[in-house]
Amino acid sequence: MQHNIIITGVGGQGVVTLGLIISSAAISFGERAIMSEIHGLAQRGGSVSVDVRIGNYRAPIVPDGKADLIISLEPLEALRAISRAGPSTVVVMGEERLPPVYLGIHRQSYPDLNEIIGVISHKLRLYHLDAMRLAREAGDTRTVNTVMVGYIVGLGLISIPQQIFHREIEKTFAKKYADMNMKAFALGLQTAQKIMATGNDTVEIQHGFG
Amino acid sequence: MSSYRELVTQQPGSNAFLLGNEAIVRGLLEAGVEAASTYPGTPSSEIGDALFEIAEEAGIRFEFSVNEKVAVETAFAASLSGLKSFVFMKHVGLNVASDAVMSIAYTGVGAPMVIMTADDPSMFSSQNEQDNRIYAGLSHLPMVEPSDPQEAKDFLISAFDMSEREKLPVLFRTTTRTSHMRSTVTFGSPRQRTRYEVLNDPGMFVTLPSNSYKFKEKLIERMGKIAAAGYEKVFNSTIVNSGSNTGIVCSGEAYNVISDVLTEIAQPLDILKLGLINPLSEGMIVDFLSTHKTVLVAEEVDPVIESGIRAISQKNGLAVTILGKLDGTFPMSYEMSPSATEKILRKMLHLERNENSEKITLGYSVPPRPPVLCPGCPHRGTYFAVKRAVKMLRIDNPIYSSDIGCYSLGDYEPFKEATVMLSMGSSIGVASGFRGATDRRIISFIGDSTFFHSGIPGLINAVHNRSRILFVIMDNDVTAMTGRQPNPGTPANLMGGLRSISIVDLVKSIGVDFIREIDPYDLRESLAASMEALRHEGVSVIIAKRECAIIRDNRNRKAGISEKYKVNPDKCSGCMNCVTTFSCPAMSISNGKVTIDPALCDGCGVCAQPYVCPFNAIQIDEVSANAA
Ligand code: SF4
Ligand code: SF4
Repeated sequence: MQHNIIITGVGGQGVVTLGLIISSAAISFGERAIMSEIHGLAQRGGSVSVDVRIGNYRAPIVPDGKADLIISLEPLEALRAISRAGPSTVVVMGEERLPPVYLGIHRQSYPDLNEIIGVISHKLRLYHLDAMRLAREAGDTRTVNTVMVGYIVGLGLISIPQQIFHREIEKTFAKKYADMNMKAFALGLQTAQKIMATGNDTVEIQHGFG
Repeated sequence: MSSYRELVTQQPGSNAFLLGNEAIVRGLLEAGVEAASTYPGTPSSEIGDALFEIAEEAGIRFEFSVNEKVAVETAFAASLSGLKSFVFMKHVGLNVASDAVMSIAYTGVGAPMVIMTADDPSMFSSQNEQDNRIYAGLSHLPMVEPSDPQEAKDFLISAFDMSEREKLPVLFRTTTRTSHMRSTVTFGSPRQRTRYEVLNDPGMFVTLPSNSYKFKEKLIERMGKIAAAGYEKVFNSTIVNSGSNTGIVCSGEAYNVISDVLTEIAQPLDILKLGLINPLSEGMIVDFLSTHKTVLVAEEVDPVIESGIRAISQKNGLAVTILGKLDGTFPMSYEMSPSATEKILRKMLHLERNENSEKITLGYSVPPRPPVLCPGCPHRGTYFAVKRAVKMLRIDNPIYSSDIGCYSLGDYEPFKEATVMLSMGSSIGVASGFRGATDRRIISFIGDSTFFHSGIPGLINAVHNRSRILFVIMDNDVTAMTGRQPNPGTPANLMGGLRSISIVDLVKSIGVDFIREIDPYDLRESLAASMEALRHEGVSVIIAKRECAIIRDNRNRKAGISEKYKVNPDKCSGCMNCVTTFSCPAMSISNGKVTIDPALCDGCGVCAQPYVCPFNAIQIDEVSANAA
């Protein structure tokens, strides 16, 4: 198995946790995984990115253009990560918008979400969802990462069986949170399965689920 | 690791998915280390965080020292007392510590001692990317470098063994990638701890010139012994893949990148992987050079190994062609990029370009997201007030002398309150140096931890020389940027029994006659104090005292307190004063008005003051207040 995954978002969104869930699942499944974490200057609020490489790799950074999957918890960070994408990279994007202070300082608003979706999907295959809404439905906004993982598994973008993730979630979280995260995983998974069932991965269709 | 405790409790033989820095902590336990010290600095900080949590349980005497030099001195004293000791820091920390390290090279150690430097190629969180492998040559000390977390743990244990045998401190170098890479590490068994007998004849550890004269020869002799002792078998490996004409010498992260690229381009070249950086293993290198026509040296930042290898080749009269940085094959800056390395190797081996690695361009300019001060950060109030005071007093073009910490971010918009910033503690030294050289007003910023680290001598110098400076000490109780480690000023209840040092008393004792303590959350008070201080003729000191917002956040979360502020859209005029001049990350513009994201707001309430919103549109969200 080989997966080159870039995970991005904003400090505080849980980018590292998302990387850890995927890497640990891969290891439980008997694969080799390595991950790189970059801690920038800001404690919170800066761009954060984690690379996960599953397979027989030694260097923890995904080479430019070689990412199979870019997972972004934030739309502008998804756009930023595209500079590292290649023609066959699939992008999975959470829709939670966190406006950088730069915009306010320059009296600008956050770009329209549909514009961002349009720009990315013009060049690459893009899946996006309102993961925050599902996380809230699961009982805690902090489960947003687990929603994303369920979504990715449901889309068949990662070749690790569901059951492995169930076990990881049980191992990682205390009982109360494990139940919530299990639900979050299921919600992400179901959303993806609906998209797969319609056989239509275009933007408009999924936006309805978002 | 969900908790660093697992580093202590997990069984030998078991596997864990560890950060390089966590593997190093496990290495300390397995090596039987009894004393450790540091000054926190990225990319080495997690080691300190882990030790702070587990030291007592693991029986390690650990301290966050006031700076790196004192950390080295502390570890050295432990070594003289017979305790296996470890000291670690970021690369630039070794500059601060180097004075002590250079002398320890001469005296040698008592019990084994390892000095770790965590370098930062590409400067993810540092002011430079200096290559500390050069310190090994400068100090004549052995240096070891791992390439991944497993090696980090195993090499560290072997480095202690080397120090034990050779009686020298061993330098242990990581980079951001090895320290912050995660991979699977297999645990070994912790060694039995031993208290070492340390001879202490008079003069043995005294670097008086007459002694040092003898120490130097002994140091060269010891290094010669190390070169002949067969350590290459422990730290280096030759990976013969094909008996190729071309071979590659590499170490650390460069080895990882090279391995992956060779797999990618299906060229199984021979590799000599070096873990022992100083002294270079001449015999092994000569063997490798003489069995290849061309040898490529792949390393990050400076041509350290390459220079050594060229010297060895010249000395042994070898005909091999050596390629590296000095001939321009590899760039002289930054960490190795896998894609750039692939291009270089393809070109060198006359392979076709790989079309698949073409990049995607969107033709869309993404708004930047530079690092920012957190919501509720007390520094925001300080910068806001000082900037306003400068404006109100019509001070033209002041010089802002800044320092290293979260508050370095005052350099960015909207504050732009940094004209010069060099290194830890430099703010006040530089500020004082402008005396008599310029008519511009000088305002200097420093954090509490940096002030303790190396700001105090600068302040003494400024007062002594009668400089005119506003010196703002931003005291948030902790060393915030590296993850809120305690420092000498941290309140005693947060650091378990250590004595807390008062910054006010310190400043007073130096003879500063204008001192004001302010709460940066109170903008009126902060502004008034800043204006008064700027009118003062000598050195004026403002101590802006308010705990790091993350500490408060964490406490509030535990207590179930959740206060939020919101913008009343009926009152908001759309003037944008708040977002353009105060710029809390919780604020943003939508549909011509400002909104506050309740998930980000930490309820500091500073923005509700009229200086930020002249229309009183920002107010506490009663719903959140009642819920609390
Ligand atoms: S300062 Fe007050 S009135 Fe002006 S934009 Fe901000 S909230 Fe609205
Ligand atoms: S109260 Fe105002 S300044 Fe404080 S965190 Fe909330 S939005 Fe930011």
